[in-house]
Amino acid sequence: MTTKVPYLHYTPQSIPTPELPPEQEKKRKHYLNHDYGILSWLLTVDHKRIGLMYLVTASVFFLFGGLAVMLVRLNLIVPTGAILELDQYNKAFTAHGTIMIFLFLIPVIPGVLGNFLVPLMVGAKDMAFPKLNLLSYYVWISGALFFVWQLTVGGLDTGWTLYPPYSSKYSHTNVLYAGLGIFITGFASILTAMNIIATVHKMRCPGMTWSRLPLFIWAMYATSLIQLLSTPVLAVTVILLATEKLTGIGIFDPALDGDPILFQHMFWFYSHPAVYIMILPGMGVISEVITCFSRKNIFGYKAVAWSSVGIAVVGFLVWGHHMFLAGQGYYLGMLFSILTMLVAVPSAIKVFNWAGTMYKGSISFEAPMLYTIGFLVLFTIGGTTGLYLGVMGSDIHLHDTYFVIAHFHFTMVGGMLMAWMAGLHFWWPKMTGKMYSDFWSRLAAVVTIVGFIMTFMPQFVLGFNGMPRRYPNYAPEFQFLNILSSAGASIQGIGYVMPLFYLTASLFTGRKAGSNPWQATGLEWQTPSPPPMHNFDATPVVYFPPYEYALPNGLGMLADAGITPGSNPALEPAFAPAAGQHEVSHGS
Amino acid sequence: MAANAHAVEEHAGPAGPVAHHFNNMRQQQATVRFGMWLFLVTEVLFFGGAFCAYTCYRIWFPREFEAGSAALNVGIASVNTILLITSSLTCTMAVRSAYKAHQAGIKFWLLTTIVLAVTFLGLKAREYHLDYEEGLMPTAKMTVDLQPQADGSYLPQERSVFAMNVEKALKHNHYDTTGVNLGRVQLFFLFYYVITGLHVLHMIIGVGLLIWQLILAQMGFFKYAERHVYIEVMSLYWHFVDMVWMFALPLLYLAGPHTLHQAVEQFTSAVGLATGGSH
Repeated sequence: MTTKVPYLHYTPQSIPTPELPPEQEKKRKHYLNHDYGILSWLLTVDHKRIGLMYLVTASVFFLFGGLAVMLVRLNLIVPTGAILELDQYNKAFTAHGTIMIFLFLIPVIPGVLGNFLVPLMVGAKDMAFPKLNLLSYYVWISGALFFVWQLTVGGLDTGWTLYPPYSSKYSHTNVLYAGLGIFITGFASILTAMNIIATVHKMRCPGMTWSRLPLFIWAMYATSLIQLLSTPVLAVTVILLATEKLTGIGIFDPALDGDPILFQHMFWFYSHPAVYIMILPGMGVISEVITCFSRKNIFGYKAVAWSSVGIAVVGFLVWGHHMFLAGQGYYLGMLFSILTMLVAVPSAIKVFNWAGTMYKGSISFEAPMLYTIGFLVLFTIGGTTGLYLGVMGSDIHLHDTYFVIAHFHFTMVGGMLMAWMAGLHFWWPKMTGKMYSDFWSRLAAVVTIVGFIMTFMPQFVLGFNGMPRRYPNYAPEFQFLNILSSAGASIQGIGYVMPLFYLTASLFTGRKAGSNPWQATGLEWQTPSPPPMHNFDATPVVYFPPYEYALPNGLGMLADAGITPGSNPALEPAFAPAAGQHEVSHGS
Repeated sequence: MAANAHAVEEHAGPAGPVAHHFNNMRQQQATVRFGMWLFLVTEVLFFGGAFCAYTCYRIWFPREFEAGSAALNVGIASVNTILLITSSLTCTMAVRSAYKAHQAGIKFWLLTTIVLAVTFLGLKAREYHLDYEEGLMPTAKMTVDLQPQADGSYLPQERSVFAMNVEKALKHNHYDTTGVNLGRVQLFFLFYYVITGLHVLHMIIGVGLLIWQLILAQMGFFKYAERHVYIEVMSLYWHFVDMVWMFALPLLYLAGPHTLHQAVEQFTSAVGLATGGSH
């Protein structure tokens, strides 16, 4: 009666996974060639295909947001505004902010990498709720298209923050419908978050304990918690704002003794945690990439894991630092200032741990690692300049200047976008089974980082010298730095367009990646690339923590060094299964 | 190998209709239940945001919120409360029947719940209609009203349409409006419409779910007792909608003074039972 369990015994020693012979590999069915036709994509419940659908759409929105900001940067070449009317300028920067935040930064890593990798990394066959996953994609895309439609037919001129009375009494643009679009995309982000949390809780494979989860999973988990808890507050805030627009008099309207500051409180209760929704998944990616290209275990696994949760929790308590000058109480401001200092601690823990991971590692500089190093430097600058803004005294000087713009672009672009590029390059071979051009990808990383620094470093100076944000015109003495910034933006633009070409080219001309091109330890690398329909040929079992690069890692590598079982008695323990690590527990 | 894997899955838990990506029924049930709880967490924050804004304004303007509440139809609200609590009971009875895979019971109790819920929605629609007839809709419209002067004469003055309507409604309820900024009562009414509107929306979705489950029951979907979990999570949602009402009722309807007599009169006249309705 006993059945032999067809488990794939995953250990770091199993690296590299043996490849099929080429003729069998050609015939192998995987998620991309399992079935064909447009409907097999549109109606798929496979998390990997949904991830790719997110990839395509989010990239398109990224392009839109980028075009919008190109208009802004072009306009700022001349102090009096080069090409845009005042009203058009408002619409251009609002389009840039809203598209980048709501349609790109928030959904991109959870939607693409989260969807693709979470089930693979925890050893599940699919997300916990595959149909809900597909629904969330359609909810997102319909909200997003509706939103973009509203931006193109009438525009939105309120800035992404939608503060009343800009958005209520004094706006003649489509605030109501744009708000509806944001509301719908928010609903999709809640559904994705539910799915990811449920997957991490309930779908882990045997042996995948919480302390063996990859740090990307921890980061996605913390992100999803924030999405779950903060997005509904934005939803209800948008509803209240819509009520104000519909009735013509309103909840946040001072004419009725309503309080516009209350809107700001409710808005930032979502939107401050939302910046952690944007950055936390990026931090997860960095932990994966940095261990792989340093060939080392992560320095302080528990510290990095719990700092994600710490950011999620403390991130909820700092929203008031956006309103130091908006008329909130003085003591409230002090409290928020202190809490803001506090939220820097878990981020700093992560940065120090990543540095510790790189220390004495065997670092190699493939494209994902270049982006990651870019992340480390730029995010650290972004984080530390954030402290100037978190201190009430200096914020009075810097509030609503280009210093703020530079600060959050260093965290959002220098941090999150670099992490996204790192993640995309790191897992591209897994998604497509193809390697991209090494030269072009490294060049793109360097171009992006150089362009980025050239764009945003001058803005710190501009802001410190008093150039306010959101103004179409500026004093003539700021012109040189603005031209520098615009020039940097074009270089950055080239850096972002380059991957479009060499990644697409890799699909046709790229060499086969094999299951584990980076010799990484994660569970997702233990299955062929592209993965089969249900991810693994058999349920994997996990015996080790996720980053055992420090162990004699991989029989293949040992064999390269001339070490095989029996060749050296001193190294024999490396071939034995680790003692006391055989307990197998089902995820719960 | 695939056959082997299937055999293992069946050994791992009770046999039943398991979706492709789960190992066994127990995992599937736990996941479905967990997912609904996560959704309810989101919902708590959703209504929480609205209640939080309500609380801020109520602390600032207690008199106006009290007055707004006094203008509401507490009679319909009371009857609706009873209907909703009863529907939660009947919903739980449906879960109980599903545990036992008792088909007739499932259908009966689901249907009862639907009837109670639709009655609630009908009464709520009637209440909105009455509010509309009384002019208790926030509006920026102004009109000219004759105001009594100290010398006994009347002088035309521009006044908010809403303020005049709410004054009339409060007078009818014998509520003393001295010291109340009647225009500001609109703030209360905005919250009243937003919160009850969202609650009604959730109830409509809930009725949709109930009907869907009824159709499934008719098709024999619940003949596997393991599938009780779908009725169970739907009942979790239904109880949540009930809980929202338990918070909305005191905050909106009971913030101002009401008497039992008034409630009875309001309800009977609203549904047309009273002779010579006063509206």
